[in-house]
Amino acid sequence: MMIRDVKDMVKMYKLLIRFSIRSRMQYRFNFWTGSFIAAFIAFMEFALLAVILSRFGTIQGWSIAESAYLYSVLTLSKSIYRTFASDVHHLEQYLVSGNLDGLLLRPLPVLLVLMTQNVSIRFGELLLGFGMLAYSLGILAGKGQIELWSAIPLTLLISLNGALLLFGIALATAATGFWLTRISMLQNLTEDATHTAIRYPLTIFPGWLKGVLTIGLPVAFVNYMPALYIVRGEAGPWILALSAAASAAVVGAGALLWRTGMSRYQSTGS
Amino acid sequence: MIEASHLYKTFRVRAPKQPNGGIRSFLRLDSIDKEAVRDVSFSINKGEFTGFIGPNGAGKSTTIKMLSGILHPTSGEVRLGGINPHRKRKEAARSLGVLFGQRSQLWWDLPLKDSFEVLGAMYRMEERQRHKRVAELNDLLHLGEFLDTPVRKLSLGQRMRGDLAAALLHEPSILILDEPTIGLDASAKRDIRSLLRSINKELGTTIMLTTHDMDDIEQLCSRVIVITEGSLHYDGPLEGLRSKIGMPALIEVTYRTLEQAEKAWTHVQSSSSADGKQLQERTITVECSLEQYRFMDILRELEAFGELEDARMREADFDEAVHLLYPDLKQIKA
Repeated sequence: MMIRDVKDMVKMYKLLIRFSIRSRMQYRFNFWTGSFIAAFIAFMEFALLAVILSRFGTIQGWSIAESAYLYSVLTLSKSIYRTFASDVHHLEQYLVSGNLDGLLLRPLPVLLVLMTQNVSIRFGELLLGFGMLAYSLGILAGKGQIELWSAIPLTLLISLNGALLLFGIALATAATGFWLTRISMLQNLTEDATHTAIRYPLTIFPGWLKGVLTIGLPVAFVNYMPALYIVRGEAGPWILALSAAASAAVVGAGALLWRTGMSRYQSTGS
Repeated sequence: MIEASHLYKTFRVRAPKQPNGGIRSFLRLDSIDKEAVRDVSFSINKGEFTGFIGPNGAGKSTTIKMLSGILHPTSGEVRLGGINPHRKRKEAARSLGVLFGQRSQLWWDLPLKDSFEVLGAMYRMEERQRHKRVAELNDLLHLGEFLDTPVRKLSLGQRMRGDLAAALLHEPSILILDEPTIGLDASAKRDIRSLLRSINKELGTTIMLTTHDMDDIEQLCSRVIVITEGSLHYDGPLEGLRSKIGMPALIEVTYRTLEQAEKAWTHVQSSSSADGKQLQERTITVECSLEQYRFMDILRELEAFGELEDARMREADFDEAVHLLYPDLKQIKA
């Protein structure tokens, strides 16, 4: 019964995504320029980091290739999360306009429908992420720091896990909208600022901020912690299990908050 | 089919303590509890066609949203065909079709037929079953001409027909319509009404609609529920509401001469059937209850004072009339 339900949901999810993309494709120009610009911005941000790195050589002992690893895992995680759950990030619009009403009328989980609205496949960012990953792993393998046959599949899993974690944080943040309605500033903090922070090795931050990024909003488990095992060899494989546990905890908290929030939904006047 | 028992909905509205509180009013926000719906109960039977009316801000939409499972009531319970839409939203949604006249539920950038495809899948319809249903709805609503047009390019009348078809696609046994005729021209209204009548009669669908158009109520509803300031004020047949309000009508007649008009004016001052409202040159305006007197009788009475050049009648607006029924209604702030 449970498995059939899950299968059903996956089928429904695929169908909704297909129609969402068909919708978006009505505006092809916008679709492709949007993808291109997003990739370009992400690339420029990394280029800036690369310039700084090449000036100083390392950040707290992390080489350019190692930093690129952090950056690429983040980019991949983020683009996967945004591709598969795009409008969770935009719940505010639904709350302010009252458009959530329509989603509540369907015999489907609201979150499932929300996740499939306005889907944008982040080709550009995915491409950039994979490009940087190839660059980073190439150099590291050349130095004998990693074994490609294990690093590649593990990194893909790490990116998926990271996507789940970022999704969990986004879900928890969005759910606060049921109380606060306007949440864009909170998102700046929990999503944008944390994403910016984990482009760099965690060691550059003061102790309290390290604590926030590993325990409060555990984004360090998206890339830094797994990288300690994969590229630095400073931690054992147990840290991957810990990262998976962090994702599970965050998604669980997000789901709980979401469910509580849904029952408080106030809609808007008409 | 639709049961509401003791529904209450209280919204917590944040408001500054004093209007000129300065910085303190920024920091210290007091919340006020606003009761949008207060102790609303009713039970609608299978196959009934019910009109749900009341002025803006009376709690209509809030009640409709509670009935359809969108809003959780502060207290009280809703049952749709025996299922509580707040405990089992997804299950209740299967037997429920909802249309918000002000807000389309269709996929805005896609052709109507794509919306049907998605909705069919959402409600787990077989493809063949869906095609059959779309064909049926097409016969009733004449969707064929714009089935392939993106929804954003449809006219309001077409869009409303499309939305109605979408709400009916999964053959719901309950249909809730929030202002289904809003903004439509006379012919589009007529189409929508005849469709609603036929699905109610032929399929036995239980329908509840809100409207500000008295004609919707008159032509469709066997039962009327009036809500004002969050509470029920009337629940029963339309005739009963009419007699309660009296449905005042204004009749305006113009005489050939001033003398005739003045004579008639003196008469209506003491007449029991028509109440004189205004005398302006050769025209007099009288108010009367069409429940008690026929329009023709009033005209004959007035014609006794001379030949009429012109006669007009205006029925009081229904919302206005509802306000007349409850004169102590305070103006509700938006």
